[in-house]
Amino acid sequence: MPRGVHRWAGMLGALLAVLAWALLRTVALASALDGALAVRSAYVNFDHGVIELNAHVAYPLNPTILKALQNGVTLSFDVETRIEEVRHYWFNDTVIDVTLRRQLAYHVVTRRYVVRDAQSGAERSFASVDKALHYMEHVHDWPVLVESQLHGGRYVISVRAGVRRGTLPASLRALLFWTDDWQRESPWYSWSLPV
Amino acid sequence: MVPAGVNTPSRWGRARALAAVALWSLIGLAALLLLAKSAQNSSEFGRLQPWIVLLNVIGVLALIVLLVRRIWQLVRDYRNHVPGSRLTARTVTIFGALVIAPLLIVYFSSLQFLNRGIDSWFRVEVRQGLKDALVLSRSALDLRVQAEARRTTVLARSLIGHSVLRIQGQLDQARRADSAREIVLYGANERVLAASLRNPLADVPLAPPASLVRTVSDRQTYVSLEPQANGRFVIRIGVPLAESSGAAGLRYLMAVYPVPAQLSALSNAVQRSYSRYGNLAALREPLKYSFTLTLTLVLLLAMLAAIHGAIISAERLARPVQDLIAGTRAVGKGDFATRLALPSRDEMGYLVHSFNDMTKRLRRAHDEATRSQQAVERERERLAIILARLSTGVLAVDRNLVVRMANRAAAGILGTDFSAATGRALPDLAAGNERLGQFVAALAVRFARGREEWREQIDLGKPGRMMTLMCACTPLPGESGDMGYVIVFDDITALLEAQRDAAWGEVARRLAHEIKNPLTPIQLSAERVRRRLLPILAPPEAEFLERSTHTIVQQVESMLQMVNAFSEYARAPEMHVSRFSLNQLITEVADLYRSHDPRASIELDLDAGLKAIEADRGRVRQILNNLLINALEALAGQPAPRLQISTRLEGDDDAAFAVMSVCDNGPGFQADLLGRIFDPYVTSKPKGTGLGLAIVKKIVEEHGGRIDADNRPEGGARIRIALPVAFGKRLGVHKKRQTLRSEQA
Repeated sequence: MPRGVHRWAGMLGALLAVLAWALLRTVALASALDGALAVRSAYVNFDHGVIELNAHVAYPLNPTILKALQNGVTLSFDVETRIEEVRHYWFNDTVIDVTLRRQLAYHVVTRRYVVRDAQSGAERSFASVDKALHYMEHVHDWPVLVESQLHGGRYVISVRAGVRRGTLPASLRALLFWTDDWQRESPWYSWSLPV
Repeated sequence: MVPAGVNTPSRWGRARALAAVALWSLIGLAALLLLAKSAQNSSEFGRLQPWIVLLNVIGVLALIVLLVRRIWQLVRDYRNHVPGSRLTARTVTIFGALVIAPLLIVYFSSLQFLNRGIDSWFRVEVRQGLKDALVLSRSALDLRVQAEARRTTVLARSLIGHSVLRIQGQLDQARRADSAREIVLYGANERVLAASLRNPLADVPLAPPASLVRTVSDRQTYVSLEPQANGRFVIRIGVPLAESSGAAGLRYLMAVYPVPAQLSALSNAVQRSYSRYGNLAALREPLKYSFTLTLTLVLLLAMLAAIHGAIISAERLARPVQDLIAGTRAVGKGDFATRLALPSRDEMGYLVHSFNDMTKRLRRAHDEATRSQQAVERERERLAIILARLSTGVLAVDRNLVVRMANRAAAGILGTDFSAATGRALPDLAAGNERLGQFVAALAVRFARGREEWREQIDLGKPGRMMTLMCACTPLPGESGDMGYVIVFDDITALLEAQRDAAWGEVARRLAHEIKNPLTPIQLSAERVRRRLLPILAPPEAEFLERSTHTIVQQVESMLQMVNAFSEYARAPEMHVSRFSLNQLITEVADLYRSHDPRASIELDLDAGLKAIEADRGRVRQILNNLLINALEALAGQPAPRLQISTRLEGDDDAAFAVMSVCDNGPGFQADLLGRIFDPYVTSKPKGTGLGLAIVKKIVEEHGGRIDADNRPEGGARIRIALPVAFGKRLGVHKKRQTLRSEQA
């Protein structure tokens, strides 16, 4: 065989090895958000035709997260709620899928942890990260749906919690596709919606 | 017709290639769409990530599988020396090198540029500057906080011991003086005792933070700098009043001071910068890693695609060449119907067109040659049939007398088998064959003299069995250019004999005619002289006359007998063919001679299988008479004369012969006469016409038979006669002779 083909085979092998190493590293690195991430309990209230969610979730906290916060990284703590109409003949129909997103950042000047509601822009600051997390872990009377949006039938409501590194530019997010280990989601916590 | 190995792009192949391109495009498009969607909506990212990864992995794997298959096939073809594989490998190498070299340069420079660029974002000076700005901001704010804390402490001390009404007034005064946003005096259970608010209509005193309550409960001053949603800062101070005793009676003051807008803005700017820097710094390693990975992946895909493209291009380039090679091989194997598909209208197309034109011409020429060859073959077969049927021998030899061709008649005449003689030298074949040896010697003598074209009579065989050939030789150019000879020869022995017989017949007829006529007058004259003179002559003269006339008459009688014998030899009587038993005739004739001459010991050895033959019984009896007379005359004077007559049936049904042998134990034939024993007037006896055996031979030949004579090794003569059992089957020779005889007459 010509020497060229051997050279290519070697080059191809080296590139494949680099790729394999990178993928292995991606798997090995997926531990930045270690810790409990789950929906402990959840229920809904009907208040004057408005379905309000109450939930208790657990968000992870470890030294990596703490250090990242103190270095100025902003983290998003989400509670996602999805209501689906159960259909036997096809996939369930999603009636609504809303996310309550709070961003936690360390205010380095005031040495306080600031929780900001991404939707309303309201902020609250806490002297410690524990207090901030404790605040976010309890969701009270979050209006998710108006009862008139439901049309009989059987509905399932699912809740899950998620954490990820927030406020990344879109271009960077695409680039960090391979290495974004700062993203976790809890399993769905589902139950039938008592309509 | 397209030969095996010639590549023809089928409709199925084209459809497959199109499908592959479409699939690739779809995968790529889907991956791009998913990536774009995930980039726009971060919540979608987690959901779409597995699909994006899956699509990319499928794409890369498919590309790798395709490429490995192609390369493996190329390597296999290269090792098996498949036509065109070397060209393909070389083209792939060159194309690949041309594409991969710039790719690698771009890859490594991009990698270095990006890594250095990213590192430059996080330079130590920037980080230190941010830290300094932070310290500065904190210091400025701390000063402010301490000032406000001191002021609040002073205010708290001034409130001790005063009534609530008085305190309210003091609070209002202090708030206005210190530009505080609110100053609230709490009692037990966060009960508001007095409050001074900047905007009493809009604001209501809120419950103090739990940490503040805890701190003041411990008789500590609570100090807090809090960021606001509007980007401003507030300083919250909590100071317990010193006179309070016990939790129930705890009174404390909470004052909230706004930080000046400019200081807030500057501090916020520091905060934003720090946060942005922190966010980016956290991405430093992942960014570098992602860039490396992405670039490597892109390079890998580009390289795979480039190599794949190079292989496809090289194969497309080499395909017409492969077709040409396959076509050339097919033509080499004799398949002139090979036609190649025109790949394009370029130079390669022109070459293929020329190839097709060449094969077309070749096929036409080949067809023409085949037709000519077939015609030659037909001619050769016809010639072979003619040669085989010829009674004339035809022999083709080269200068060294190596046989090129010999027909069946040549083999028959020369008494050898030429069936496997082609390519062998005549002298080798002549070993053990005297006749062929003589023939070869005769040829060699003539060729040695440099004679190439001649026509001569050649005598072969030994005395008594001579064969005469009329031989003609002509030079014949050989296939490879060397000269050879074709020798045509005919056995003219029988012809010569017939000529001699005819001549003797004529002699006999003339003798009979010319001699017989004067004999009668001579005899009559002698008798008349005797009758006239005898009475008148004296006794001595009369006796002399009597003796003389008697001698004349006797000699004339003898001459008449001889003339009659000649006449009989020359006569060609009508044949009266009948079917009779030869054995019985022999027995009769033998008995006759036994009774006539009791001394004669005639032994018979007759073949019981010989039933009957078709012949002229009278003439066959004459044969027997002549032979027995000859034999008995030869045995005269022998102490124990013995004569044997035997018969045998020989040959097959088509040519059955009754072979009769007459042997005696006499002196045998004289050696010098043996070759001419059947010629007329040849005899070893003092008395005799010499026509006995000549007449026997004539009768045998009239029956289409054969006769030969020789001496037995143990002594004595032997004459062997073969007569055809069925008359007419062997009359060819006889008729020929009769025709010749009549022509001569």
